[in-house]
Amino acid sequence: MRQRPILSAQHLTLGYGSHLVTENLSFELFEGEITCLMGPNGVGKSTLIKALIGSNPPIKGDIILNGKNLNHFSRGSLSRQLSVVLTDRIISGNMRVKDLVALGRLPFTGWWGHLRTNDRMVIENVLQATHIEYIKESKISELSDGQLQKVMIARALAQDGKIMILDEPTAHLDLINRFEIMYLLRKLAKESNKAILVVTHDLEIALETADQLWIMSCETPLTCGSPEELMISGEINQLIPGKKWGINSNTGKIELNLPFQYPEVIGPDILKIWIQSAIKKLHPLSLPPHLIIKAAQKPFSIEVQIGSINQAFSSLSEFTAYLKNNFKKNS
Amino acid sequence: MNNPAKHTFYFLIGIGTCLIIWLFNLGTGSVIIPVSDLVKRPFEGPFPREAWEIILMEYRLPKSITAMLAGIGLSISGLQMQTFFRNPLAGPYVLGISSGAGLGVGILSMAGTALGWQTMVGYGAGWPIILAASIGSILVLLLIGLTAWRVRDSMTLLILGLMFGSIASAGLHILAYFSEAEQLKMFMIWSMGSLGDTGWDQVKVLAVAILVGLIPVILWIKPFNAMLLGENYAQSLGVNTTHLKWVMIISTGILTGSITAFCGPIAFIGIAIPHIARMAFKTSDHKILFPAVALIGTIGVLFCDSLSQLPGSYQTLPINAVTTLIGAPVVIWLIIKRDFSKEF
Repeated sequence: MRQRPILSAQHLTLGYGSHLVTENLSFELFEGEITCLMGPNGVGKSTLIKALIGSNPPIKGDIILNGKNLNHFSRGSLSRQLSVVLTDRIISGNMRVKDLVALGRLPFTGWWGHLRTNDRMVIENVLQATHIEYIKESKISELSDGQLQKVMIARALAQDGKIMILDEPTAHLDLINRFEIMYLLRKLAKESNKAILVVTHDLEIALETADQLWIMSCETPLTCGSPEELMISGEINQLIPGKKWGINSNTGKIELNLPFQYPEVIGPDILKIWIQSAIKKLHPLSLPPHLIIKAAQKPFSIEVQIGSINQAFSSLSEFTAYLKNNFKKNS
Repeated sequence: MNNPAKHTFYFLIGIGTCLIIWLFNLGTGSVIIPVSDLVKRPFEGPFPREAWEIILMEYRLPKSITAMLAGIGLSISGLQMQTFFRNPLAGPYVLGISSGAGLGVGILSMAGTALGWQTMVGYGAGWPIILAASIGSILVLLLIGLTAWRVRDSMTLLILGLMFGSIASAGLHILAYFSEAEQLKMFMIWSMGSLGDTGWDQVKVLAVAILVGLIPVILWIKPFNAMLLGENYAQSLGVNTTHLKWVMIISTGILTGSITAFCGPIAFIGIAIPHIARMAFKTSDHKILFPAVALIGTIGVLFCDSLSQLPGSYQTLPINAVTTLIGAPVVIWLIIKRDFSKEF
């Protein structure tokens, strides 16, 4: 059994003033876990984040942080429980990395903001944990996007709260940095037992790194569960409005829902997947119903059987050219 | 925060420069008093030449202190506004705060004429003018605040500031139109800016007002650092940004208002000095920047004032013209040459 959640809510209604954005949200956030909040644009993710960080209280319902109503926390005490990484641009290019990270200690310092030994120790630790010690003297304006994101995560870590909320930390990052950031967060969640909530649109990375997914969609308010559970039950498809697109339950990838079932490829897995992917790109095709495709690797060959006619190809491009010339439907 | 030794060194250089410019400032003018005599003055008592004594004690000394106070107040207003609005082009003059102060003084002096008071600069009374000018400044700040608080776009903020400044100036011009000839001249002179119209009485009042305006800044120095990350991050660090907004409005209002009341509008000090300080000290930590800005502001206004007293001549150029002639090119250079995002 899991421990009790650090942050939870039952049947929340969120909005601005009288304008309702979303209702009936229930969720639980656990320490030591990384939770990904996903959903299409405009569904209310930002509104939920604003509610969680206390800047836009819910219209109805209570958010419970550590057994206490979030509304009863002062700004100061909330800042010692919860830290954020936002999408706001940092314009203070003159600031050095270690000074920016040191700002995370602000809730713990006195009027003058003097750093004590303990504060310095925390800063050193988070610089190490996020692997940015080597740039601690650099100016913010000299950093790459990926480095800056790590610095912002380090700053949030220095705030030393139990909960960390990140709003699209991997947007604008290159492929490897996306994985690095998410694996870094995962490591931090496990090692320092923090509850980390990440808003992301990166399905692939979320499936791989998240302990829990919170899926917000227009029809159902919030679905929670492990990525694997949601994948098996098919609830993961709530991420995608409409019928045009779907998530392939084998690969976890988003695909066009094609009205026509393309033939299976017989052969090794890698050829199956990629030959089928190549066939789908030729859509729309009108293939004869009894068409059989066999593929082999080393040497590479594709064989097409239509009734008693056999055709063999030694490369994928020859094969796709053949399909295109003979079966392409003019749409 | 970083490299305290270097910063101490810079502060020492700054204080040295300040003293040299101050001596130069006290020495030059229609009558030249040699620096060697000026240095001896505090130790050897009054000058044997009575004219020197009067020029120094009754005119140049209060004037130079006014210049220093103006430099401190305007630059610190500028730094607060730039940090709060996260806009490198914000400043008390550019955003029309000085015009608001002017309107406050104008209304007070009109009301004063109607009621038979003598309130215009040079006639004793200090507090009513400071109060009126501060209220004028704060009103413009509030208007900008109400309309542009969440505006992150530099242009919108500047255009709004320009508009409110224009409205305040228009009000001031209407007042001037209905004024008597003598008052009109006084208003014209005031609007060109002058540091020399303050006697000791006004200097004392001004010093107290500046001190009062600086207190909120000193008390809230840490939140200003948090504000460098923007309002949302500042809130997540436990800063009450609504309080900070009021700190900025009241402090800037008092500082800009009181200086404008006594010296008239002084342009470009508030916008240019914070950038020079950031460039020189290479930091964005307000614990360094606030004193640095005060020091460089002092040097800046003393320097401009020294330029305005053409040596050997009886003429004095309006201070506002001199600060504009020097400050505007600095700002133009900043916009063209420097990437603001890297210096801010």
